[in-house]
This record gives sequence, C-alpha cells and structure tokens, in this order.
Amino acid sequence: MIDYLKYAGILLGLVIIQKTLIGFIDVTEYRITPDIVIIGLVYVGIKRGKIIGGISGFLSGIVLDIFSFSFIGLMALAKTVSGFVSGYFHNELKMERYLNTYRFIVIVSFCSLVNNFLYYYIYFQGTSLEMSDMVLRYVVPTTVYTALFSVFPVLFARKRRFSR
Amino acid sequence: MKTLLSYLGNLKEYLIFSALILISIILIFQNDNVQIRFLRVVAVNVIGVMQSGFSFIPNIFELERENKSLRESNLELSRELSRLKESKLENLRLNGMLEFKQRTNYRVATGKVIGKTLIQTRNNITIDIGEFDSVKIGMPVITDKGLVGKVVATSKNYSIAQILLNRDLKVSAKDQRSRVDGIISWDGEGKVLMKNVSKSADVKVGDVIITSEYSNVFPPGLPIGYATTDGTKDNLFKHIEIECFVDFETLEEVFVLKFLTDLERKELEKRFSEKAK
Repeated sequence: MIDYLKYAGILLGLVIIQKTLIGFIDVTEYRITPDIVIIGLVYVGIKRGKIIGGISGFLSGIVLDIFSFSFIGLMALAKTVSGFVSGYFHNELKMERYLNTYRFIVIVSFCSLVNNFLYYYIYFQGTSLEMSDMVLRYVVPTTVYTALFSVFPVLFARKRRFSR
Repeated sequence: MKTLLSYLGNLKEYLIFSALILISIILIFQNDNVQIRFLRVVAVNVIGVMQSGFSFIPNIFELERENKSLRESNLELSRELSRLKESKLENLRLNGMLEFKQRTNYRVATGKVIGKTLIQTRNNITIDIGEFDSVKIGMPVITDKGLVGKVVATSKNYSIAQILLNRDLKVSAKDQRSRVDGIISWDGEGKVLMKNVSKSADVKVGDVIITSEYSNVFPPGLPIGYATTDGTKDNLFKHIEIECFVDFETLEEVFVLKFLTDLERKELEKRFSEKAK
C-alpha cells in the first residue's frame, strides 16, 4: 500500500512539475516540452506491471487533462496505453537492469513514442496537418526531448547504486 | 467454470486495460471540438461498416418491429395510392369537362351526380344544383361525351333529371352521316333504340347519332351514341340499336345546358296539332 502511495506521490509531483515548470524549457517554434510524467509512468510500469502501469497512466492522464482545460480524456487514453505498454517490461529478474541502465532510456523512448503518436494523432484530427509533418514537428521532437530527460533518473539511480 | 474463471483471470489485465481505454474514449467523446466531431464521423463510419458486416444475422425482434412498421406504411401507401388514383381520375374527368365548357356555345351549370337509379324502367339522376343555379325544368343534361337526359324536377339546391335509360324520355335524333331521322328511346330492358327509321334508310354500324333540329328540348348536334346494328325490321320501320357515348354506370359530373324550348315554336306546333285533330 505504501508503495502505491509512493508511486501516486511521484506521479502527482511529476504532473505538477510538468504543468508548472516544464513550460519554461520549451524548444522549437512548436513549443516542444519533455514529458516527464511518462518517465515516472515507465518506472511504475516496470516496477509493477501492466495493470498498475495502465491504471497509473489513466489517473495521471486524467489529472493532466484536467489541468489542460481542453481535451478531457485524450491524455488519459495515451497515458493508459503507454503505461500498459511499459508494463510489458515488468520482469522481476531484469528489473534492476531495466531501471538502472540506459535500457530505461530506450523503454522511455519507446513508450513516449507510443504516447506521443497516439496523442498527437487524435489531437490533430480534423486539421489539415499532414501525418509526416505531425510526426516530424511534434512526435519525434517530444520523444527525443523526453528521452534526454530520462537520462537523469538513470544517472541518479547509478549514483545511488555506486554510493551504496 | 473453473477453467472459465482461470481464463478470465489470465485476461484480467487486458479487461482492465480495455475498461480504462473505454472510459478514456467516453471522456474524449464528451468534448465538443473539431477533432471530436471528426472522430465521431470516423466512429459512425466504422460502426456502420461493422453493422453492415453483421447484417446477415437476423434479429427476430427487429424483424418483427420492421415487419409491423412495413405493414403500417404499406397500408398508408395503399390509402395514398387510392387517393392519388381518385384524384387522377377526377382530374381527367374535370379536364375533359373544362375543355367542353370552353368550346360549347351555351351557358352551362356544372353539377355533381349525387344519386342515380339504373335498374328501373324509369331511371333518373339527382344533381347537386338547382334553382339557385338557374336550373329549370326541361333543360338538357349533358357531359363532354354526349347527351345524358333532361331536367324534370328542381328544388332550390337540387335537380332530378331523366336519363336516356328512361322509357319516358324520347329524343329526336338523326344519323350524322346520312341525316336520317329517328326517335331515340329506351326499351326498358337494356337497349337504347333509334326508332321510326324507314326500312330503306341508310344507317350503318358505327354511324354517330346526334340530336336533331326537330327536338323542342335539346339543341341540335349533341352527340348521343353510335349505331351498333344497321336495324331490326318492324313492318315499315327498323329499330337501330344505339350504344350511348355516356357511360351511365360511372357518371359523376354533368352539365346542365341553359337552353330552353322556344315557346313561340312550341305554341305554334300545339295550335296546329289541335287544329288537325
């Protein structure tokens, strides 16, 4: 139970940071920001599996949707899928390897790609934006930016491991 | 049962995942913006394609409802068709009458037949126009096809007319082609005859019979019918069977010709006939 509260606290903290501070570090003319919530989500997914990953994704997505004041349900959908996908990497034997090595960055990149593609694909429906433009302007940059940010938890985990 | 529960247990994560996705989609569809409108169109199309794919599976309740609905609409359409047919036939009749009204030289009053007898020896029709429409006793009754009869009784709003199928009605007539004269009357059994035609008179089957100038009641030239026989001989005269142009069975609208007997002529003929006696 304490574990779940810990995950909820981490994700809520990440959501708050995402909605308050991350906006200041946007790049490109399309205001691309990293998605730090997905980093936490992948962490939870790897730790707890598909169900907890999916539920965490849904709840964090809903909170993000509520904060965004616009498209309720869209981020919940994208985060549910990406959280569930991250649960596929839940493996008791390989968990440490996934979380503390650069494989974590690869998993985050993959889950972020799924998340971003789903999100932007639906978000830009009914507009004239081409799929290729959408991928190049939004999906790939956001994924790369998020992947860059996922380096920090890996470094943090490695540092902690060495200090032990 | 155990196997089923075990199977469902294995599917648990996918069921939860599906439920979350479903909730997300429902939430998405609560929005009302351009993306959602587009997605709704896509969703409707997808559902339409899926439904058409499964449409071969019969739904008994749906079929029953559909059947009931089809029966109701069938009944309604039958009524509509009947009304339309009626209107079309009425339109045709009225068009014919209108054309006749425009080309005739006489003033006419148009009336609807509201009663008729056809099975007696003295048959009449009742018309829904009367003295208020200047209808008077003795006026000829016609249709665009030909002669019907003459008015024999009037009230303020109604009139009764003897028709050709009445033994009391005699009409002076002539063969339009050969100008042979005769008297039209009904034999009371189903045949309209042209009598008083001399044996040697030239009347052929198909000749058109019209009213003659000798009539006190009818203006000359009104079509009556055509000859269907060239005459059964009866001593000095022959009787020619006539098929009337007017179909009394289906008679619905008529004209009353505002034509009255020339009283001077009638008076003169009366005086002469009295003198001869």
